[in-house]
Amino acid sequence: MTNVLSLLVVIPLAGLVPLFFFRRDERAAKQVAITTTLVELAVSLWMLKQFVVGEAGFQLVERVDWLPSLGISYLVGVDGISVLLVPMTTLLTFISVLYSSGGVIKTRIVEYMTAFLLLEVGMVGVFIALDLFLFYIFFELMLVPMYLIIGIWGGPRRIYATLKFVIFTLAGSLLMLVGIVAVYIQSADASGSRTLSLPELIELRGRFPGDFQFWVFLAFALAFAIKMPMVPFHTWLPDAHVEAPTAGSIVLAGVLLKAGGYGFLRFGLPLFPIGVQAWLPVLIVLSVIAILYGAIVSAVQKDLKKLVAYSSVAHMGFVTLGIFVLNLQGGVGAVLQMLNHGFVTGALFLFVGIQYEKTHRRMIADLGGLANLWPLFTTFFGVFVLASLGLPGLNGFVGEFLVLLGTFALPGAPLGGLFWGPLAAIGVILAAVYLALDVPARHVRTGARGI
Amino acid sequence: MTGADIAAVYPEIIVTVVAMIVLVADAVLDRRRAAFALPIITIAGLVVALAAVFNVVPAAQYFRGFVTIDAFTSFFRAVFIVLAIFAAAVSPAYLARRGVPAGEYYAIICFSTVGAMTIALSSDLITLFIGLETMTIPIYVLAGIQRTDRFANEAAIKYFLLGAFSSALLLYGFVWLYGVTKATDFATIANVLAAQGIANAPTIVALALITVGLGFKAAIVPFHQWTPDAYDGAATPATAFMSVGPKAAAFAAILRVLVGALGPLSVDWSAVLAILAAVTMTGGNIVALAQTNTKRMLAYSSIAHTGYILAAVAAAKAGPSAGAAVLFYVFAYGLMNLGAFACLLYFDLEGTRGASLDELNGFGRRQPLGALAFAIFLVSLTGIPPTIGFVAKFVVIQPVLDAGLAWLAVVIALNAVLAAFYYLRVVVHMYMYDAEEKVPRLVTGRTLSVSLGVASFAVVLLGILPNSIYQWALEAAQPLVR
Repeated sequence: MTNVLSLLVVIPLAGLVPLFFFRRDERAAKQVAITTTLVELAVSLWMLKQFVVGEAGFQLVERVDWLPSLGISYLVGVDGISVLLVPMTTLLTFISVLYSSGGVIKTRIVEYMTAFLLLEVGMVGVFIALDLFLFYIFFELMLVPMYLIIGIWGGPRRIYATLKFVIFTLAGSLLMLVGIVAVYIQSADASGSRTLSLPELIELRGRFPGDFQFWVFLAFALAFAIKMPMVPFHTWLPDAHVEAPTAGSIVLAGVLLKAGGYGFLRFGLPLFPIGVQAWLPVLIVLSVIAILYGAIVSAVQKDLKKLVAYSSVAHMGFVTLGIFVLNLQGGVGAVLQMLNHGFVTGALFLFVGIQYEKTHRRMIADLGGLANLWPLFTTFFGVFVLASLGLPGLNGFVGEFLVLLGTFALPGAPLGGLFWGPLAAIGVILAAVYLALDVPARHVRTGARGI
Repeated sequence: MTGADIAAVYPEIIVTVVAMIVLVADAVLDRRRAAFALPIITIAGLVVALAAVFNVVPAAQYFRGFVTIDAFTSFFRAVFIVLAIFAAAVSPAYLARRGVPAGEYYAIICFSTVGAMTIALSSDLITLFIGLETMTIPIYVLAGIQRTDRFANEAAIKYFLLGAFSSALLLYGFVWLYGVTKATDFATIANVLAAQGIANAPTIVALALITVGLGFKAAIVPFHQWTPDAYDGAATPATAFMSVGPKAAAFAAILRVLVGALGPLSVDWSAVLAILAAVTMTGGNIVALAQTNTKRMLAYSSIAHTGYILAAVAAAKAGPSAGAAVLFYVFAYGLMNLGAFACLLYFDLEGTRGASLDELNGFGRRQPLGALAFAIFLVSLTGIPPTIGFVAKFVVIQPVLDAGLAWLAVVIALNAVLAAFYYLRVVVHMYMYDAEEKVPRLVTGRTLSVSLGVASFAVVLLGILPNSIYQWALEAAQPLVR
C-alpha cells in the first residue's frame, strides 16, 4: 500500500473523533489515546518495513494537488534522513501518552489527550512533508498543542514559560514564512508557474542568486536555530522543559527539537548551498559554543530536570556541528545524534518525572541513596546517563563520535578541524563530569537526606 | 433604465426589501413575537439575496455606466451578505437582554449592507460615494443604538463627526479629480491619468485627499483615532459588525478607486501606501499590547489587520495576486474578527464593558465549546495554521515580496509575533487560570453558539482547503488589472 504516510497523518486525527464523544469519560479517553498512538506506532514500523534501504531519493511519495491556484500540493515522502525519525516520534508519543495515563495528569485528561494527538499530527507531518507550505503548516501545528500542554498542565511558572516558548518559536517561524514565500516567488519559471515542492526546488535552485540565498537562508536558519535551540536562542528551553509536565518534556526534547535539525538538513542545506557557505563560520562557532556552554551550565545545575534540559543544548550543538561540517561523517553523525538524543533524553526526562512523582524531590543533592531503595530503577537510569554522555558501546557514542570525526576532517587552518575538533571533544569530557560523576554517584551514596 | 439594469441589481433590491419587511414586521408584531421573528426574517432574506448573487448576470456595465457587475462585485456582495448574516445570527440574545430595539438593529444592518454592496458595484465616483454614505450613515446609528448608554453616545458622536469629516475630504478629492480628468467614471479617469501621469499638482492634491478620506474610513494610522472609542463604546454585536462590514466596504472602495480608477498612478503612490501599512500594523499592535480590556484590545488589533490588508494594496503592481490577497484577507478577517467580538457576547452583562482579561479566567471550563471557538478565532487572527488567518497572511506576503517590498514582508512577520503575544494572552486567561469564586454568570444564546460553531469550523476548514475561495478572489481581482 502506498498511502502509508497519509495514514500516519490521518490516524491521530481519527482518534480525535472518539475522544470528542467520550469527552465526559476519562477512562475511555485514556484508552482511546493509548490505542491511537499504539496503532500509529505500528503503522510507522510498517512504513519502516516498506522503506528500501540503499535506494536514493524519496520513497513512499504521495502527491495530491491541494492549492492548484497557487501551485501548492500535498506532497509527502521519506528518505534516509526522515525514515527513522518518524518511528522515533511515534514511539515517544506512545510512551508519553501511556505514562500520562497512569494518574500523573489529574485534570482535564480529555483535553490533554486531544492536545497530544494534535501534537502527533504535527510532529509526524514535519518529518514527511516535502512541500514547504505543508511543512510550515505541520511545523506550526506542533506549536499550539505544546503551548497548551505546558501552559495548562505545567509547573508553577508555566505561563511565563509557555509564552516565552511560543513567542520565541513564532518569531523564528514567521520569518521563515517570509523566506518560504520568497523561495516561492523566486522559483517562477519563464511562464510564471511557481512551486514549493522540495524535489522541484532542488532541481531549480540555480535560480536562487547568492544574495537571495544569504538572506533567505538566514530566515530559515533563525526558525530552525530557535527550535533546536542553538545558542544564543536557547533561553526558552530551560524554562519550557522545567515547567512542562514530564510527557511534555519527553516530546519537546525528543521530537520538537529535532524539527530544527531536520529542517537544516532537509531544506537549509539542499536549497541554499551558497547561503550556507556564507553563514558557515557563524554556525560552526555557535555549535561549538553550544557544546561547551551547554556542558558547563549543566555542570552547575542543582535541579536534575534543568540539568537534563541544558544537556540537550550541548547535544544539539553536536547535531548542528555535524550538519555544518558538511561532510558525510558529520551528516550521518548528526542524524544518529538526533535519533539517539531523542531516545536517551526522552528516557532521562521520564526517569526524572517518575522520580519526582515518587519523591517530590528534584534537587540533585536531595537524591542521595536512591540506589538503595530502587536498585533497578537507578541502574537503568545510570545506563541512560552513560548513553547520554556518549560512552562507547551505547547509542550516544555513535553520533558524537561520527560528528567529531567529521569535525576533525574539516579543512582549513588555523581555524579548521584541528581547532574545533578538540574543543568539541572537551565538551564530551565535560559531559562526563556533570552526568557520570554527579548524578549516579549521588544515587549510590547513602542517605544525604533520607527519602 | 431597462429590465437588464434591474436584473443586475437584484441582490441589492432584495436586501433593501428585507430591511423594509423587518421594519414593518417590527411595527406589526408584538414584542415577544418580534424578538423571535425578526432575526429569522433577516437571515432568510439575506440567504435569498446571497442566492441571487450567484445568479450571475453578464459581466458588463449597467445604468449607463454607473454600475459594473463583474466577478469583483459578486465576491464582495457575497462577503458583505455573509458577514451580515453572521452579525444578525449572533445578536438576538444580546438585544433582548439589553432592550435594544431589534427592528431598527436588523434593518440597519441590512441598509448598511446595501450601501456596502453599492460600493462594490460602482464604476463611477458618484455611485461609489452614494454607496459609501448609505453604508456609513446606518453605522453611526448602530454605534449609538443604546441611547441611554453614555459610552454608546460618545461612540456614535465620535464616529459621526470623524466620518462626516472624512466624507467631506473624500468628496473634495473627487472634485479635484473631476477637475483634472473631466470625468466621473473610473474607466475614463484611468485613461486620462494614464496619458497625463502624476506630474501635476492638482492630481497630487486629489490623490492625497482621496487617500486620507478613505484612510479614515478604513482606520489607517494616523487616521484611526475614532476606532477604539467607537468600537469600545458601541454595543458588542454592533461592534462586531462595525469592525468588519465597513472595513471590508472601505477596502472595496480603495480597490475600486485607488487601484482601479487611479491605477495608472500606482507606481508613484505605492511607496506611500507601503509606509502607511507598516505604520498602521505596528501602531495598532503596539497599542493593543497595552490593553487589559479584551474588547478594546480587539479594536486596536483590527487596526493592525487594516495594515496587513493595506500592505497588499501597496503591492498592487504585483498584479492580480495583490488584489486577490486583499479580497481573501478581507473575507478571512471578517469571519474571524466578527467571531472574536461575538465571543465577548458571552460576558457582556449590565455594567461591564468588554470583558477585562481577568473576567475571562476559567472560560475554558465554564463554556468549553465557546472558549474553543474563541481560541480558534484568536489563533486564526494570529496567523497560525491550519486556519484561514494563516492562509490570508501567506497570500498577502506573496504579492508584497513580488512587488519588491521585502522590508514590508519582514515588518508583517514581526508584527504577527507582537500580535501573537496579546492574542495568546487571552487564551492563557481562558484556559490556564481558574475563575475566581464569584464571577458573573455567562450569558448564552442558542443562535450565538450555533453561529460561532459554524464560523469557527469554517475558519479551520477554509484554512485547510482555501483553494476555492482563493481561486474566486483571483478571478474577482482580474477586472482591476488593466
